[in-house]
Amino acid sequence: MPGSIGYVIWSLASLLELCVVVCALARHSFRRYLFLNLYMLLSLLVSLLRYQVLSHFGLRSSEYKYFYFYSDAVLTIFLFLALITLYLYVFDEMKVEKYLRLVAVLLLAGTALFSYAVVQQSSAVQQSSNRMLTGFFFELSQNLYFVGLVLTYVLWGAILKLRETRTQLIQLVLSLGIYFSAFAATFALGNMFPNLQSLGYVLPIFGCLLPLAWAFAFFRFSPDDRMVPARLAVVQR
Amino acid sequence: MSRKLTALLLAMLILAGAMGLKTVVAAHNNGTVMMANGGAPFPPPVANGGAPFPPPIEANGGAPFPPPSVSTR
Repeated sequence: MPGSIGYVIWSLASLLELCVVVCALARHSFRRYLFLNLYMLLSLLVSLLRYQVLSHFGLRSSEYKYFYFYSDAVLTIFLFLALITLYLYVFDEMKVEKYLRLVAVLLLAGTALFSYAVVQQSSAVQQSSNRMLTGFFFELSQNLYFVGLVLTYVLWGAILKLRETRTQLIQLVLSLGIYFSAFAATFALGNMFPNLQSLGYVLPIFGCLLPLAWAFAFFRFSPDDRMVPARLAVVQR
Repeated sequence: MSRKLTALLLAMLILAGAMGLKTVVAAHNNGTVMMANGGAPFPPPVANGGAPFPPPIEANGGAPFPPPSVSTR
């Protein structure tokens, strides 16, 4: 079973996820950012279910592992959809919704195909196919993280190029970019230094940072808040 | 038609970039996994208790892309 620090971080993450939804409802942003809020609600629900499975079967049980990996894949797909809705908001004036949806579908399908190819090759090497479905969901989840990372950076570039000024939207995209980048960095560190014990707590802490940043964005800013460009300095000649 | 082709090209570029980035990041792949939704504790490995980050498979360090561990024991 996880230690007390693990439980504290876990409950804090769940509490913050609830905060995001409450803040969004209070600031009338729930429907505006529907998929973001649905992702947070689903994440909260999954946390509760994971706790049930964990307390019933234990950390080392197959039941917890299956539930963890499958639920993570579902959550990652929801996060991907939430990111696509942010694209729709940024590009809403350009009337390219149809093409954005096409890109999203192609990306999801392409990632699924790539993941399937990797898992199929891996299971062919291991001469076993009984865990292919679980392996597929695991691989899909990991690959979608990286697709999300690239998509977030592309979106940030578009925000800069289009001179987007909606503060709440910028805050949501930036926090998502930091979240994905932090995970990619942690992933790289975990690969380079496999004996680094502190990374065990870093991952769940990052799980708290995204809802914290989103709760702040919903609490602090209203959907219509705009960033004011810096005033030009008047230079005396 | 050209817009659809642009969408296809964009999707393929992003996918290639993401998979390339993953390959670079996981250059020294030792089975580390990146599961990040929520703060739930990560399930430990079945037969490798000493590892801080549980590998997704039981005993297969040579595979380039290891699938997760789901032992029925």
